[in-house]
Amino acid sequence: MTAENIGQNASLGMSGGSRVVPMQADPAASGRVDTWQEGEFTVVRGNARTAPGCHDNCGILMYIDKDGKLDHVEGDPEDPYNQGRLCLRCLTLPDVVYHEDRQLHPMKRDRADRGKDKWERITWEEAYEIIEREIRAVQEKYGSHAIQVFCGTGRDIVGYHPMLANILDTPNQGMGFLSGQGCYVPRMFCTTMKMGSLYTGDYSQNWIDRYDNPNWVRPDYVLVWGNNPVVANSDGTLGHWIVECMKRGTKLITIDPKLTWCAAHSEYWLQVRPGTDSALALALGHVIVKEDLYDHEFVECWTYGFDQYAENVEEWTPARVAGICDIDEDLIWAAACAIGNADGWALQWGVALDHTAEGFYSGASCYDLVALTGQFDKPGGMVCGMPAFGLPVTWIGSDTDWIPTKRDDHPHIHGDYPALKMIGMPSPDATLDALCGEYDYPVKACILQTNNCLSNMGAQPERIAEGLMNDDFNLVIDLWMTPTAMACADVFLPVTTFPERFGLTGHQPYRTGAINKAIERVGECRSDPQIVTELGRIFKGEDVFPWGEGDAWDEEGFYGYLLRNTGFTWDDLKARTWAYPEMKYYRYKTGEIRDDGQPGFNTPSGRYEFYSLILAQMGMRPLAFYEEPPESPVSRPDLAEEYPLVLTTGARQWGFFHSEGRQIPHLRAIHPEPEVTINPADAARYGISDGDWVRIENQYGSCVQKAKLDIRLKQGVVSADHGWWFPERGREDGFFGTFESNINNCVPMRPGSTGLGNSYKSVLCKIYKVER
Amino acid sequence: MKNAILVNYEYCTGCHTCEVACQKHLGLEPGKYGIKLTQIGPDQISERKWQYEFVPVPTDRCNLCAERAEAGKLPMCVQHCQAGCMELGPVAELAAKMGDGGKYALFA
Ligand code: SF4
Ligand code: SF4
Ligand code: SF4
Repeated sequence: MTAENIGQNASLGMSGGSRVVPMQADPAASGRVDTWQEGEFTVVRGNARTAPGCHDNCGILMYIDKDGKLDHVEGDPEDPYNQGRLCLRCLTLPDVVYHEDRQLHPMKRDRADRGKDKWERITWEEAYEIIEREIRAVQEKYGSHAIQVFCGTGRDIVGYHPMLANILDTPNQGMGFLSGQGCYVPRMFCTTMKMGSLYTGDYSQNWIDRYDNPNWVRPDYVLVWGNNPVVANSDGTLGHWIVECMKRGTKLITIDPKLTWCAAHSEYWLQVRPGTDSALALALGHVIVKEDLYDHEFVECWTYGFDQYAENVEEWTPARVAGICDIDEDLIWAAACAIGNADGWALQWGVALDHTAEGFYSGASCYDLVALTGQFDKPGGMVCGMPAFGLPVTWIGSDTDWIPTKRDDHPHIHGDYPALKMIGMPSPDATLDALCGEYDYPVKACILQTNNCLSNMGAQPERIAEGLMNDDFNLVIDLWMTPTAMACADVFLPVTTFPERFGLTGHQPYRTGAINKAIERVGECRSDPQIVTELGRIFKGEDVFPWGEGDAWDEEGFYGYLLRNTGFTWDDLKARTWAYPEMKYYRYKTGEIRDDGQPGFNTPSGRYEFYSLILAQMGMRPLAFYEEPPESPVSRPDLAEEYPLVLTTGARQWGFFHSEGRQIPHLRAIHPEPEVTINPADAARYGISDGDWVRIENQYGSCVQKAKLDIRLKQGVVSADHGWWFPERGREDGFFGTFESNINNCVPMRPGSTGLGNSYKSVLCKIYKVER
Repeated sequence: MKNAILVNYEYCTGCHTCEVACQKHLGLEPGKYGIKLTQIGPDQISERKWQYEFVPVPTDRCNLCAERAEAGKLPMCVQHCQAGCMELGPVAELAAKMGDGGKYALFA
């Protein structure tokens, strides 16, 4: 891999190759059935995977009554992934499927009536006619690159959106208005530069027999960094796998400004100031080098640039970094020695690493610790997380032989940011500027599928609303009339929930599985992938998308086609419900990581690169570094006089998945109002009592939330909820009141210097009591 | 012998899944519980040691999922417990598991 040949696929560590990977032995698979009768109910076995959304795909049993209605669900005790457990969100699935607010028919609205509740029900045919007319008009007038394909996180549309971009001949596809592509992309990109692929903690999830597998050992330590894994279940990791490891002797080290459950159950808890993670990683590296705790064999045989690394961490002494992070120096020593002396330890990192302006390098500085201690591909360490069975053909849509596309005829909207130029990803920040006429690039039609950017994810949401309400055409595809749909959609298409459809769990590294249809579609809803393929027929022709449409859509034929490189068929997969690829450790030693079959890693040197040759070649900093967030009490003492508190946002809440779940009674009851957590000492200073409504304000904007006083949070920091809207309020009532409590009002749409990373967890604010 | 629920609450993360699993099973509205979480702490016991824990407590609405037991299934709350920290069994058998240094609560 060189700087010239990095495509989006390789750059995200997702290539996975087209090699046919054998399945792992699954003795129970031959007798497994996917449907049976249990008393009055028909039971359908499947995988939970969106909508509603989550990053996981737990094994689920769906109980269907004699009228064909989904009565209730349970976890599948035979499924190795979740071992019978479903969390509260999936347990309320029938309440989502049959919710009175669900949108069941395509609708249109006059462009002049954007923002108003003036919808008209239409047929799918009419909806597609309008979409074709409007999209073609934009293509002709401005070029195909003026079309933006936006998704959110969680729903499996992430796998099909690159396909949609190919269909519409646009290079601009990604997370709509997530500043700095700041969720996983910064971490993935930097680690890909340094080692060519992505690794996750080894909690036995790659083995069918899980914790009993004789090759697996539990990690000595899990380093929980900027992540609340038991709540977040981020990136395909069920957080409670870590709890299972704890029962087997794993200890935790947690790095978090808040005493999370994991922090309270940790051997060491480092209560850092938000945004200082890279400094801490450099100091941990400093100790490991100084104390000679690094893995000499791994470092000598499999890494590049150790001398520069050692020199680079020299100045980041624990004494200095303790001051930067506002923690005790001896905790840095203790944590470094713990991972330095461990046989196996796993890095459980979270989005906090991406949520600081130079977050691009935070992930890299953490990965250097993994390399330093030789944890890659090691039992109880870190395991290779490439998509199972080479499925990126569905995940990334990279098979352009299948869908002829002109997507790369025009440069994408990279905003001149070097990292984004390199990986072919659009800059959400530049996209917003362009949408508002402040950057020279046409952004004229937006397709927002599973994307509620006005409530969630989009920084400076009122500016986004203004931009979206003034472009030429918007298509929103969702379950609900969301604030985003209400504000800007010209056409709305309703999607199915997962019990109403077949599908692939797709992109997860540990396994793949079948989403199994259990009930007939509610109303006229169609699945996300069906809508994508139907747009494919319109724009690329029926010979490219030969699976039909409407009720005649050959759903199972389509998924069979997506499995064409895996060595198994859709029928096989559906019957077995899940398939695990063969699992091996130490693949870098046997040549199973690199595309050319040579031992080592997918980098120019073939080694893990402490010093990244590609970054150096691109003129970016080749070694990890730390820089203060642009707005911190240290970098901006002047600003801190008016806004003395550090604002961190987006902590995950039980029961919700970002902006989802607010209309589900049993979930909402657990967390009924938007909350901002503040240490009682800070609250006393500002005359705030528990349960007061407060305004959170800074130079970017403000919002109101309810104060929750809690000694778990670091003094000087407030932690505010994200994703709020109030489905119980009116459609025209501020789009379900979504701007009132939207903490993104206080966050700038501004990435780090490379275009990646943002400031969602590291700006300044003040808070004061308000009457409500 | 009478069945009971044992909670190894050292591992309970406070995820509310047991509450919702039971509400859905018994058909309870939000606010009514067959099992309800209680919280201990957050309390700083010493410089480096905190207690921040949860214990789910069955209510008088709990019937130990009698019909599920007959069908050979675990109680809804026990099966779905995200931490796998609940167990149903005869009182004496469960009591015998306590005393190994872990943190337990037995509801009989
Ligand atoms: S983690 Fe929860 S919401 Fe996600 S798939 Fe599993 S049960 Fe469903
Ligand atoms: S045993 Fe059954 S009835 Fe009792 S709390 Fe658990 S789920 Fe509810
Ligand atoms: S489901 Fe288990 S882990 Fe979750 S709150 Fe209940 S007892 Fe605790």
